[in-house]
Amino acid sequence: MFMEKKLGLPSAIATGVGLIVATSCLMSLGQGTAALGTGFIITMILACAINILTALSMAELNALMPNLTGGLAQYTLAGMGPFVTILTMVGGYLVCQVIAGSVECAMFGNAINSVFDTGIPSNVLSIAMIAILIFANLHGVDLFAKIQNIVAYVLIGSLMIMGLIGSLGLGTGEPVAQPMNLAGSFPDTLGLLGLAFFLFIGCEFVIPISKSIKNERRNVPLGMVLSLVIILIMQIFLVIGMSRYTDYGTLAESASPHILYGTSILGTVGSYWMILVSALAVVSTVNSAMSSFSFMCAGMAKINLLPSFFLKKNKKGAYYIGILSIGLIEILVNATGMSTSNSLIFMINVAIVFWMVSYVISNLNVVIFRIKMPKTPRTFKVPLGPVLPIIAAVGTLFMIWNIDPNPATRNLIFMIDGIIFVVLAVYAVIWCKVRVKRPLFHAIPMHEVMAMENEMYLVAHKSKKGE
Amino acid sequence: MEVSKIEVITSMNKLTGLKSALSKLGVTGMTVIQAIGCGVQKGTYEYEPEQNPEMELLPKQYIMVVVENDKVDKVIDIIKKELYTGHIGDGKIFISPISNIVRVRTGEEGMDALK
Repeated sequence: MFMEKKLGLPSAIATGVGLIVATSCLMSLGQGTAALGTGFIITMILACAINILTALSMAELNALMPNLTGGLAQYTLAGMGPFVTILTMVGGYLVCQVIAGSVECAMFGNAINSVFDTGIPSNVLSIAMIAILIFANLHGVDLFAKIQNIVAYVLIGSLMIMGLIGSLGLGTGEPVAQPMNLAGSFPDTLGLLGLAFFLFIGCEFVIPISKSIKNERRNVPLGMVLSLVIILIMQIFLVIGMSRYTDYGTLAESASPHILYGTSILGTVGSYWMILVSALAVVSTVNSAMSSFSFMCAGMAKINLLPSFFLKKNKKGAYYIGILSIGLIEILVNATGMSTSNSLIFMINVAIVFWMVSYVISNLNVVIFRIKMPKTPRTFKVPLGPVLPIIAAVGTLFMIWNIDPNPATRNLIFMIDGIIFVVLAVYAVIWCKVRVKRPLFHAIPMHEVMAMENEMYLVAHKSKKGE
Repeated sequence: MEVSKIEVITSMNKLTGLKSALSKLGVTGMTVIQAIGCGVQKGTYEYEPEQNPEMELLPKQYIMVVVENDKVDKVIDIIKKELYTGHIGDGKIFISPISNIVRVRTGEEGMDALK
């Protein structure tokens, strides 16, 4: 049996671009521009370069352990053992997905109210949307699966056009008299690296579709890298446009910077254009995130790193525990009323530390496998031996350190993340002792991790134990 | 004789990709035989918790190609990359020297018989 491969490089790029860009990225973009003006472009180029190196590492890991559903978790299980996997990939990564999803939902309510003034609190609108998506997902209705790519193209196309209009000075609005660049020196640009990182995360989501990509050895890494470069170019235009047309003070305060920018360059037409595109994008992103979160949990339960109840399906075939978990947490987070730009950026920064840690671990996994399994065939290898993965890991650590330019905020972020990591560490130790029954830091052989992907693995091993 | 025989025993898939990759490399012929067999796992499926006490023979394919010695490393590299899945059962490659080759139709021998 051979799978028919249909997707070429353009589809790989489109998928990558669509998955990486979310409307909450525009919040980071607005904040970065408000702080540094066009100086933020240097920050973005650095963050993009480090993420390109990480994308190459992901591609090598995918070549070494192809066609896995759990992705980063399985690589780490084979590279560093169950404790680090549960701590960073299961706990950290899932926590991060929940927080990032919540922010995306909050952006929905803010965007609607910034244009229509409904009189309904923004978080009520967001919660209503989450409730509808929970209902749809529980009924196995993938609302936006068929139009996901179209929505992504429209979002990217719109942002690219809006960026070009702004940067070429073609907007109907009045340009603002303010300096284009606010960064006084190179170190100023480094302070917002953590914020810029959020603009380029998610290229690993291309890996699950690598099976259906033609000439995947070439097109998966190339698609990931080109996606990041295209996003960088689009965002450079937006930064120039924002510096030209939006007041930095207003931009910094805005909880919907994309709507503000749309209004600034094209008036009401621009705001309606942006609201339509971003509303569609938010609903589609949150919807697919909810569905993929449930699959991710099920995948991790399959390799015995999460409780097996995540594998339970309802009558419609949906992994309902995962859907309800993420949905209810998102409702809870939005019910707290977070909607200001400051609280959203803070939430994003708390979340992306976990994401960055998982990227650091992935880069280290590449180095570990190079040492442990130097002769294993790899259809893609990061050039220059372990140098680039090490640069990527160090660069990502540097971004974590620069998560916020304000030391007090940075410490608060580290404290919250630290507490979550301690809770996850306790869970990881208990789960390893009680359930996994393996040494905490003993890597599980790669062939065994690959075998765990087989749906019969858990069944066969449970029946042996008489469970 | 500067020629080697490369024999591959692998699971029943991935033949199309391998055939295509070897053709691109200029390998002039290959022989494929459907077979049954097992390796060190005694035919145990990878998801099973314990190894079979007795050998269980599973469907496999036996692939044979003969190539010039200077191509051996490249051919082996291609075969490894094409057959690799990371799962148990990816197979084994055996390399051995050939003392002579005879083309029956013309009676040519050695390298001439391979071209």
